[in-house]
Amino acid sequence: MTAPSPAVDPDGPLVGPSRRRTELIMLVFAVALVAFAFANVGFSLKGKLPSVIVEDLAPYVVLVVIAHLAMRRFAPWADPLLLPLAALLNGLGIVMTYRLSAQGNLLTAPLSSSATTIQVVYTALGLGCFIGLLALIREPRVLQRYTYTLGAIGILLVALPALLPASISEVVGTGAKIQIRLGTFTIQPEEFAKLALAVSFAGYLVAKRDVLALAGRRVLGIDLPRARDLGPILVAWAASLLLLVFESDVGTSAVFMGLFVAMLYIATSRTSWLLLGFILFVVGAYAASKLFAHVGERFNIWLHPFAGQNPSHNAYQLVQGLYGMASGGLLGKGLGGGQPYITPLVQSDLVISAFGEELGLAGLMAILLIYGLIVQRGLRTGMLVKDPFSKLLAGGLSFMLALQVFVIVGGVTRLIPLTGITTPFLSQGGSSLVASWILIALLARLSDTARRPPPRPIQEEGLTQVVTLK
Amino acid sequence: MNRALRRISIAVLVMFLLLLINVNYLQGFEPASLANEPGNSRALSAAQNQYERGSIVTSDGVTVAASKLSTDPNDSIKYQRYYPLGQEYAPVTGYDTLYSQTGIEGAENSLLSGNDSALDVRKIIDLITGKTTKGAAVTITINSKAQNAAYSALAAGGKPGGVVAIDPSTGKILALASYPSYNPDLLATHDGKQLINSDNQLLADKTQPLLDRALEGSYPPGSTFKIVTSSALLTNNPSTTINTSVASPTQLTLPQTTHVLTNDLGEVCSPTGQAPLIYAFAKSCDTTFGKIGITVGAPALNAMATKFGMNNPNLTIPLGVAQSNYVIPPSEALTAFSAIGQFSDTVTPLQEAMFASAIANGGTLMKPYLVQQVTASDLSTVQTTPQAVLSQPVSATVANDVKQMMIAVVQQPEGTAYVYNTAATGLKIAGKTGTAETGTVTGLNDAVFTCFAPYDNPKIAVGVIIQGGGYGATAAAPIAVQVIKAYLASLGNQ
Repeated sequence: MTAPSPAVDPDGPLVGPSRRRTELIMLVFAVALVAFAFANVGFSLKGKLPSVIVEDLAPYVVLVVIAHLAMRRFAPWADPLLLPLAALLNGLGIVMTYRLSAQGNLLTAPLSSSATTIQVVYTALGLGCFIGLLALIREPRVLQRYTYTLGAIGILLVALPALLPASISEVVGTGAKIQIRLGTFTIQPEEFAKLALAVSFAGYLVAKRDVLALAGRRVLGIDLPRARDLGPILVAWAASLLLLVFESDVGTSAVFMGLFVAMLYIATSRTSWLLLGFILFVVGAYAASKLFAHVGERFNIWLHPFAGQNPSHNAYQLVQGLYGMASGGLLGKGLGGGQPYITPLVQSDLVISAFGEELGLAGLMAILLIYGLIVQRGLRTGMLVKDPFSKLLAGGLSFMLALQVFVIVGGVTRLIPLTGITTPFLSQGGSSLVASWILIALLARLSDTARRPPPRPIQEEGLTQVVTLK
Repeated sequence: MNRALRRISIAVLVMFLLLLINVNYLQGFEPASLANEPGNSRALSAAQNQYERGSIVTSDGVTVAASKLSTDPNDSIKYQRYYPLGQEYAPVTGYDTLYSQTGIEGAENSLLSGNDSALDVRKIIDLITGKTTKGAAVTITINSKAQNAAYSALAAGGKPGGVVAIDPSTGKILALASYPSYNPDLLATHDGKQLINSDNQLLADKTQPLLDRALEGSYPPGSTFKIVTSSALLTNNPSTTINTSVASPTQLTLPQTTHVLTNDLGEVCSPTGQAPLIYAFAKSCDTTFGKIGITVGAPALNAMATKFGMNNPNLTIPLGVAQSNYVIPPSEALTAFSAIGQFSDTVTPLQEAMFASAIANGGTLMKPYLVQQVTASDLSTVQTTPQAVLSQPVSATVANDVKQMMIAVVQQPEGTAYVYNTAATGLKIAGKTGTAETGTVTGLNDAVFTCFAPYDNPKIAVGVIIQGGGYGATAAAPIAVQVIKAYLASLGNQ
């Protein structure tokens, strides 16, 4: 027997539930998982509850609850899964930072015992930005006004480390010039540049999409764009190549290029842009691999990690990550049970290998599915939302997140060449975490707009309808 | 736009599927093969620190590496490695760090850590009898007195260099010292931060303390190479004896060039331009041996050098040894230089000891070795290194000829090392000095000395190279004399 369908007022607008209660229940679940994981680390390493469990975990719980309340206030119709999923990943990141810093002296780049507290502070910063953004930007289309401003900011942020002296911008020992160091504090501007550029691309493409979609000739069944319309894609391509060459940052370069091409495709629905972008990137990357030793080396490491001197030299990091995940096997060594500290940079670029080692295949798949769910919620928002700018932005941001996860997890698991980019929410460090929260805030704002019921007419009849403007 | 978004969603789905499939393959199917990769320290390290690591002990019973219970309560590893005679034995023991092992620690790691399959049966017995399993102890061939003399003398001289002493009749390495050295205790720490700091400091140190000069330092042999040149001459021309008169001009014009080869400081070797071979050898006349080199020819020199152990990339003791090189020169003029240990000739201090060792042992070169035996914790012997002949560079007759020439270097007034004659040292040492031009404009030459003693019944052969030491007789020979004295005295006490 089927349940009777709920009575729907045939004349009234279709209003779904706001789902804030669902969000709260999911949040409780996420926070509980994080708390168990935190306790697990303590019992595994010290045989007792971590001494800092209250001071490190309580702020996290409070922050998450505040974020939930802010959602109720500022984005009541937002997707209920975004916040819990992101909070879970963020919490797991804190747990892993604690786990690694507990044996921090064994790491090749040592972590101090205060690293966990610092990560919680970053979480506060991230959630602060999340709440602030929701409070400040009530309507996503507002961002469209700043298309060129944000574009300029984005490019400046990308270019800044390349222009600064290596002593300030180089990540020690990697040759990658991607940060700005102020004393002991470092910022990775590209994390924010990605967001600024995504918004800027969306604004630009909304304005130009008709020209980009319609003008051109058809050759061999593929619509070729006009030469004069190639400008933007060539600029994006050149910018991503510059990143590659001057900042040795292959991963971010791929993410930028992918982001732009995907948004171009969403805006125009023309496969030719996709093909063109892909071909340009592959040609550029191939040329760079031949011209620049450090790029070519990555291919060598990827293809032959166990050959000759590679395992103990150039491919050491990748190979140690693989050993770690292999030692984890199906169910993992348990948090605190493995030796993730052997892998260089395990707290940042290779954090996924630490999860693979300690939570096993099961845990790693769960983490991948969490990312997949966030991306799916974002893309779904893109489908639901009405105005083209928001559609583009939601699609672009979701795809960017997916691409970033693909590039780093694929790199660490040797699906593609390993390039050093952060793992959203999980990597230890502030810039990536704050930027990830801003991304979630934007998606939440977009989904709030998408799911918000249309304004209810206050007059039943008449020529002129008066509507309340929010 | 929704159609494009849907397609992007499918692309994203494919990306995540690829990741999931790859992760499944990596963690579901590959672990077995990855665990067998030689560098997989995760698979190893669980086993690496499972048992108390075995000690490293010299042949006369001095412990140079051992393990004790870690005093740090936070230490995740139960035992702490320590090196009682740190710097003196660093080139021998190597170090055992969190991540890697070198020296004997590396070469015998599986036995020391107790994971070698040779210990399996004993582990089962330990399990039944309830005894704690320990790693096996390694007894090295080093004589502590000779080693101490070698390192002290190097340190007293204060110049970088290496010393190796070998028992000529067995190939046992009696001393193996390098200076400047480092303290392996710094690297044995379980504090990763401290380990990285120490490692970086040692790597940045301009004096290169981590370089084991005895086995890995390559230097020109200088006049000590005249042992090889003489051996080639005496072997290829059986009619030549050590008393055969050979051309010993004050200046030797090199073929096809206008260059002249002179002796050190333009010295006159013989007023008549002719001298017995033994006299030219003792006085170390470069013109004589340059000319002999041209006469004998580079291929013969190369063959002889190879038989003495040079040009061998695979020599292990079981520590790896840098290859000593004789490169066939492109011209006769350069052959003359190569015959007196210049041009592209390079040797390690070990190779220097091997020259003297082969001659002292009647022309038979024993394979040098450092590990005497490995003993399990129940004191049963796990393995003993067998003595082996490495090569036979010269016949007993030629060896005897060269021996006589080498004693002349020390015992005859014209010999370059006459100051170490029996009257002065109380020993009957036979040797050959070398003063190698390093090609650098400033700075002193490398001082080289290879020798054996006692002459009538050789017990020890020593090779010394002091970088920038100057004359072989003044900088290198005194160190060899001290090593010989210390070793022979310890033999007398037994």
